Amino acid sequence: MNVIEAENLSKIFRVRQKEKGLKGSVQAILRPRIQEIQAVNDISFSVEAGETLAFIGPNGAGKSTTIKMLTGILYPDGGRARVLGIDPVKQRRRLAYEIGTVFGQKEQLWTHLTPYDNFRFFGAIYDIPDPETERRIRKLADTFELGPFLNTPVRSLSLGQRIRCEIVASLIHEPKVLFLDEPTIGLDPVVKEHIRSLIRQMNRELGTTVFLTSHDVGDIEKLCRRIIIVNSGRIVLDDSMEHLKYHYLNRKIVEVKLQEEAQLPAPEGVTFLKRKGSHVKFQVDTQKLRINDALHLIDAENLEDINISNIPLESIITEIYKAEGREEKAV
Amino acid sequence: MSTAVKNQLRVCLLAVKYNIMREMLNKVTFLTNIGFMILNNATFILQWVILFHLKEDIGGYTMREVMLLWGLAASTFGLSRILFARTFSLPELIINGKLDTYLVQPKNVLLCVITSATNSSAIGDLLYGLILLCAFCFSIERLLLFLLFTITGAVILAAFALLLGSLSFWFVRADTFAQHMLNSSISFSTYPDGIFHGAARFLLYQILPVGMVIYRPVHVMVDFRLESLLRILAYTVLISSLAVIVFYRGLRRYASSNLMEARM
Amino acid sequence: MKKYRVIYRSVLMENLQYAANIAMGFISFSIIVFVFIQLWNYMYSSPQELIAGYTKSQMIWYVLITETIWFGTPSHVVTRQVAADIRGGNIAYLINKPYHYTLYCLAKYTGGWSVQLPMFALTALGLGAVLVGPLPAFHPWTLLAVTPVIIAGITIDAVLRLCISMISFWIEDSNPFQWLYNKLLLVVGTIFPVEIFPEVLQPFFKFTPIYTVCYGPAKLIVDFSTEKYAEILLAQALYLAAACGLMFFLYGKGVKKLYVNGG
Repeated sequence: MNVIEAENLSKIFRVRQKEKGLKGSVQAILRPRIQEIQAVNDISFSVEAGETLAFIGPNGAGKSTTIKMLTGILYPDGGRARVLGIDPVKQRRRLAYEIGTVFGQKEQLWTHLTPYDNFRFFGAIYDIPDPETERRIRKLADTFELGPFLNTPVRSLSLGQRIRCEIVASLIHEPKVLFLDEPTIGLDPVVKEHIRSLIRQMNRELGTTVFLTSHDVGDIEKLCRRIIIVNSGRIVLDDSMEHLKYHYLNRKIVEVKLQEEAQLPAPEGVTFLKRKGSHVKFQVDTQKLRINDALHLIDAENLEDINISNIPLESIITEIYKAEGREEKAV
Repeated sequence: MSTAVKNQLRVCLLAVKYNIMREMLNKVTFLTNIGFMILNNATFILQWVILFHLKEDIGGYTMREVMLLWGLAASTFGLSRILFARTFSLPELIINGKLDTYLVQPKNVLLCVITSATNSSAIGDLLYGLILLCAFCFSIERLLLFLLFTITGAVILAAFALLLGSLSFWFVRADTFAQHMLNSSISFSTYPDGIFHGAARFLLYQILPVGMVIYRPVHVMVDFRLESLLRILAYTVLISSLAVIVFYRGLRRYASSNLMEARM
Repeated sequence: MKKYRVIYRSVLMENLQYAANIAMGFISFSIIVFVFIQLWNYMYSSPQELIAGYTKSQMIWYVLITETIWFGTPSHVVTRQVAADIRGGNIAYLINKPYHYTLYCLAKYTGGWSVQLPMFALTALGLGAVLVGPLPAFHPWTLLAVTPVIIAGITIDAVLRLCISMISFWIEDSNPFQWLYNKLLLVVGTIFPVEIFPEVLQPFFKFTPIYTVCYGPAKLIVDFSTEKYAEILLAQALYLAAACGLMFFLYGKGVKKLYVNGG
């Protein structure tokens, strides 16, 4: 069964432009220039019950706009959305009972109150009887390990603890779909990993469908079986994680600085990107060559500095985007 | 009462309770805010002592009536800012896209928004009004009327603020405009209406809500007339309905077009 | 000094962008002025009557001038913003910048009023000319002579407000103290000239900021005399020195406390 359906969703924003300097300021008051931005451009996809979907793309790609259209905060300019068979535009309130939302950059909690009081408040918002709210708080606090700070005011919590509380607050009414907009933004790697495992666990235990936006490659790798990449308001790729990994996430960039200039061998799986004196940068395809084998190519005695990194998501997206463009041309 | 209404009320009451709990977290600040607000208001007694020293009758008011006027103004603004503080900062929510949070909740957006904050110094205002009433012109009937008009006034003011604040759905600069209209209402409401003539009277009774919030109620408290009372009640209902309609119109616009690039 | 000039210039630019907002401020301003004109029209039975030594037109012009200064100065820069910087911990970043935080605030404040004040002054002039009529025996040279007094008054006011904001280093909310200071200036010096108060209080007022901040400039414009001019300038010099001393002292103490206790 499809839980989320989007058909040809589109959204245009009108943004005021301002020229530089004093003259521009005056001009902006007298004769504002309006620029239209196609934030979401003809997007169609569907999500099945129980699925965990990553909706990714660089800043301004249209991720949040899409989430807002699916949750009824924004009305689409074109196309149609259905969440659990409900039209978010026409039946926003009915939909609200069925879905949960977490916006990583916006707080819905009362910061001066304790998580416990907050959850009670959300229980009241969703018309849950008090004893039932109590029961759910106990259960969720257990799953999300909130015990130690359940009675500490939210403003004194760390960002990671706060996000966990945000997630619990949006799960108190046991929604069938959970929308997470950049839930791990600004968190350190350890906390990120923790949050991810909790989301995974929740998805398994409660069967909640998770729709997640992020521009963090880790979120997608660790959490999702399916991924949709958007750029400039369009879907660039809608594919399984397996497939994406095979194609794009199997490469590491190795950057080394040697004490003395040396010639490195180039077996299959290694592509040199830059060679400038003692400074060498190469790419390793980990499906063809294990990363530790690749490192054996370098004489450890001669090594001054080394840096191994993943290909940043931005470049993956650019790469996919360019590839799409070529395919279109080829057709 | 239907369960939906009951549930809604439960949420609003919980919100108000939480608001006050939040303000009371720091007891010293909470109490100094209240105390200083009372002191702050009291300095204006000096102004009127001086003015009445120069002339015994100002716009048909004596010291007693001016204090009644001041008291009602303080209590009305106070109550309005205790219960509906957010209506006064509504443009900020609209412009920064902070209504999103309320839109994903399955409750009445307007009620959840306007009850989502409070102002502790406003408690000082409310108390100050009552103190003035008791000190200068107490009687049981007057107290009851005073309380009634404090409530109608608070609702009218909130509705007026909501009406002006909702303009931010359409115009970027509406926030300052709203602020100035509200400030002007406050400035007028602490002076006797008898000193204003012509265009000013029209402004006070027809455009700003000061006439219905302050002047007419003061007249009723000095010299009771049922007709005036009914007019005030009718006006309260009218302006509230208008404000609600405009707010929801604006909300539709909020959801269909993004107002600011910040919300992308 | 150069860096403060640059800060001043940026704020000036920013303020010009918000010119429309400032223009909107004319609504509140005009309404207040209007209320006072109506009030004094009512209080004076004839234009020749003297109240506390002021004719009706002098009285209204006095209020016009003090209200212009009141509205033309963006006091939030030296009150709420400073308090928020201190309470919010933002100050920890600002004090490490290569400028003195309090002077930075003053430069910002000056940038604000140099745009706003002339705009409000023009409005006041227009309103006064139409609704009250010209000030008798007024000479344009007076305005020129009084300009330094106005600027000094505004600056003293800002420094005093900054001092009050510094209280935020020790208590959570300094706003209530700002209200009291505000009300002192407003009720005693802005909406009336101090002469309206009983004789016994007069010497006392000479020692309050009212005398240098609002009474001085307005009084000199409506009723100029050389002795008064010299007296007020002297009082302002003393006040400015004392207020600045207090400000630097409080700021130094506050920052020291910050370093000891953390932000």
